[in-house]
Amino acid sequence: MGRRAIFYVGLLMLLLAVLFPLYWVVVTSFKTTRDAFAIPPVWLFSPTLDNYRTVFANRGFLSAFANSFIISILSSALAVAIGSIAAYGLAQQPGDLRRSKEKFILSLRIAPALLFVIPMYYLATRIGALNQHWLLIAAYAFVNVPFAISLLITFFDDIPKELRDAARVDGAREFSVFWHVYLPAARGGIVATLILCVLFTWNEFFVALVLTGRATQTLPVSITSFLTFQGIQWGALTAAATLIMLPMIVLGVLVQGQIVRGMTLGSVKG
Amino acid sequence: MATTASDPTKHFFQPIIVCLTVASVALTLFVIWISLHDLSLMRAGREKFVGLDNYLRFFGDPRAMAALWRTVLFTALATIIEIALGLAVVLFLDRDFAMKRLVRTLLLVPIIMTPVVVGLTWRFLFDPATGMANYLLSLAGIAQVDWLGSPRIALFAVLIADIWQWTPFVILLVMAALESAPTDPLNAARVDGAREWQVTWYVLLPMLRRALAIVALIRAIDSIKAFDLFYIMTRGGPALSTETLNYYGYIVAFTNFDISYALAIAVILTIFTNVALLTMYSVLFPKAGER
Repeated sequence: MGRRAIFYVGLLMLLLAVLFPLYWVVVTSFKTTRDAFAIPPVWLFSPTLDNYRTVFANRGFLSAFANSFIISILSSALAVAIGSIAAYGLAQQPGDLRRSKEKFILSLRIAPALLFVIPMYYLATRIGALNQHWLLIAAYAFVNVPFAISLLITFFDDIPKELRDAARVDGAREFSVFWHVYLPAARGGIVATLILCVLFTWNEFFVALVLTGRATQTLPVSITSFLTFQGIQWGALTAAATLIMLPMIVLGVLVQGQIVRGMTLGSVKG
Repeated sequence: MATTASDPTKHFFQPIIVCLTVASVALTLFVIWISLHDLSLMRAGREKFVGLDNYLRFFGDPRAMAALWRTVLFTALATIIEIALGLAVVLFLDRDFAMKRLVRTLLLVPIIMTPVVVGLTWRFLFDPATGMANYLLSLAGIAQVDWLGSPRIALFAVLIADIWQWTPFVILLVMAALESAPTDPLNAARVDGAREWQVTWYVLLPMLRRALAIVALIRAIDSIKAFDLFYIMTRGGPALSTETLNYYGYIVAFTNFDISYALAIAVILTIFTNVALLTMYSVLFPKAGER
C-alpha cells in the first residue's frame, strides 16, 4: 500500500515536470497582460481571446502559416515519393551492398546543417532565389530524402519476402510489385514517414532562418518577430506558440507508435 | 532471387544514390574551395586563394576555442544527464499500472513540440522578475536567480530546457527496448536468489546496453549541433557565455558575412563530430571478445 502510494506520487511528479511548461504557455495565452505577470501567479482567471486576436491580426503570422503548410507538405511528399522508390530497391539487395548504401545515407545526416546552408545561401543570393518557395522545398526535400529512405526500408523489411516472390512468379514486373504489393502493404509505414517528415519540417528552424526571405518566412522564424527590442509581447507570443505546436502535437499523437522508431531510424522498434 | 547484372531492383535506388552522391561530392568540393579562399558576402567576386589560413585562424581564435570547449561541455552534460535520468525513470516505471499507455503518450509531447516554442517557453519560465522558476525558488525561500542573464548560469539554464525536451525521448526508446527484452533471464536470476538490485545491474542493464548506446549516440550528435534553444533563449550571450561552435559559425557567416571562415568552422565541426562519434561507437560497441 505504502509503496504503491509512493509510486503514484513519483509518477505524478514526473508528469507534472513534463507537462507543466506546456500547460503554462497555453494558459498564459488566454490571460490578460496583468494576469500573465501577476506574482504570485494566478491559477484561476477569466479567460480572454485578445492575444489570439492580436496574432490573427498580424498579416505576417498568417502568411507564415501558409508558407509552413505549403513547404512542409510539398517537401515531405516529394521526399516520401523519392524515398519509397529507393527504399524498395535497397530492401531487395543482398546484405553487403545494402549496408554500404545505408551507411552512406546515414552519414549524410551527421553533417551539421551549417555545412550545406552556407553554400546554398551563397548560391541563392547569386541567382536571386532567396525569396522563393521552391528553394525551401528543395532544401527540405534534400534533408528529408535520406531520412525517408532509412525509415521506409525498415517498413519494407516487415513485409514478407514471399509476397514479392509470389507476384514475381505470376509474371508481375518489378514496378508493379512495388506499386501493387509493397505500397499497399506498407501503407501505414508510408503515412507515418510522411507525417514525421511534415513534423520535422514544420518544426525546423535553422535552415528556415537562413534561407527564408520576407515572402517565404515559416512559422518558427516568424514567431521570433514577437521578440522585439521594445520588449517581449508574451501574450501574443504564447498564443502564437500554442497555434504553432498544437497541430504537431495532434499529428504526433496520431503516429505515436512510430516516432521512436522514426527517430532512431528503426534501430529500435517502438 | 537471382542477382544478375540486370537486376531490375537496382534501377529503383541507383539514380537516387547517384544524385545524392553527386550532390554531396559537389557540395564538399565547393565547401573546400570556399574555405580555402577569403570569400565574404560583403565583397563577392574579389576573393583570392588563401590556402589553409582560415583553418589556422581557427586555432588561434580564442572565441572559437572557447566555443569548442563549451560545445564539448554542453554535449557531455546533456548526453550523460539525459541518459542517466531517462534510465532512472524507465526503471521506476517498469511495472504494470493503470494508464501506462496514456503516460507514454504524454511523454511524447516535449519531443514533438517545436524547439523554438520550447525555447520561448523556458525563456518565459526563467524570466527573472515574473517567471515561474524564480517564484518557485521564492516559495522555498531561496534567493532569486538571474537564469539567462548571468554568464555563469545561462549555459545551465539552456541545458535544463534541453534535458526537459529530450529526456522523454530516452525514456520512450529505452522503454521500447525493455519491453521487447526477454523476461526469462530476469526470472532465472531471481529464482537463483539474486537480489532485485543485482537483477537490475547484472541482467537488465546489459540487455539494455544496445538501446542505451544508440540513444547516447543520437543525443550526442544532436547536442553538438544544438542551435534553436541557444538562438531563442540567449543568442549566445550574456558575454558570449552560451556561444557554441555551431552558433559561432552562424554568427561568422550571417552577422560578419565571412563565409569562408564560417565554412572552415563548419568543416572542423563536422570532423570533430565524426571523431567524437567514432570514439563513442568503439567504446559503446566493442568488437567481439568481451560483450
